[in-house]
Amino acid sequence: MATTDAPPGGWRAGFRTGAALGAGGFLLAVSFGAFAVTNGWPAWLAILMSAVAFAGSAQFALVAAYGGGGLGPGLVSAGLMNLRFVPMGAATARYLHGGPLRRAVEGQAVVDASWVAAQRSDGGLDRELMIAATMMQWPAWVAGTAVGALAVPGTELIHTIGLDLVFPAFFAVLLVDSLTAAPTLLPVAVAGAAVAAGACRIMPTGVALVLAAGAVAVTAWQRR
Amino acid sequence: MIVAVILLAVITIAFKAVGPAVLGDREFPPRLRAAVDALPVALLAGLLAVGLLGPGWRTFDWTVLPGLALAVALRLWRRSPLTCVVAGVAATAVVRALPWG
Repeated sequence: MATTDAPPGGWRAGFRTGAALGAGGFLLAVSFGAFAVTNGWPAWLAILMSAVAFAGSAQFALVAAYGGGGLGPGLVSAGLMNLRFVPMGAATARYLHGGPLRRAVEGQAVVDASWVAAQRSDGGLDRELMIAATMMQWPAWVAGTAVGALAVPGTELIHTIGLDLVFPAFFAVLLVDSLTAAPTLLPVAVAGAAVAAGACRIMPTGVALVLAAGAVAVTAWQRR
Repeated sequence: MIVAVILLAVITIAFKAVGPAVLGDREFPPRLRAAVDALPVALLAGLLAVGLLGPGWRTFDWTVLPGLALAVALRLWRRSPLTCVVAGVAATAVVRALPWG
């Protein structure tokens, strides 16, 4: 356990952060559970998906694309949505412990919110915070899915009470945090948003997100 | 559907494992390191755009914008992430309850 020499953050901060993120994730999971059931998925399978995949936006992509084309398009969309975990995992690798197998296991803690929350101002990553935050979010995600799938609030109700804002608001808050820590990355954010917006007009959203990752090319231009 | 769930789990676990397992002992050149460090910002901005616009821009709804702006403003004012999101959701509900919402 590397708690004694951990920088500000660590396990305790991770559990605190994860509790807050989990509350937001719970709301989003409720909307996912309802979304899956209203698209013809059995409630138990929606809950199982959240438990074994814990893949947020990819789960939405799978359900949406499966309904529009079946297994192939569903998995391609979800896979593209999850492609970002490869570079995110690569960026995380040096901060994880142990050999390849242990790092692969610890790498399962890489989820968007935890990963961003674990970014340190010195450019490093707080391993303990990321793992703890993910440990808090997983049960919230599964429980929220169960509530949504079993209680099935209608899409009209979700819209009326504003629950559909959870997803964009959550990512906007995290983006504010990232840009506050590294203001020079504002052009990257603008480019990422522009590329994703343009791409999702004509392409699957998963592809749009992968292309948005290409906005990091701006950093090469900045370093010239 | 069960096959889809299993394959999604396998894909997700594999994608999350390959970076840490294969690249864990390597040092990144500065230029690549800068690009990788910028990834969260690029992806978050992309997620935000995609979340707002949706596939083919078919799910864009202007009534989320006031709530989104409130969430951002509260975060800049150093309120907790949960406070920001809940306030944004509440503001969106209020906007939609108005006659023009």
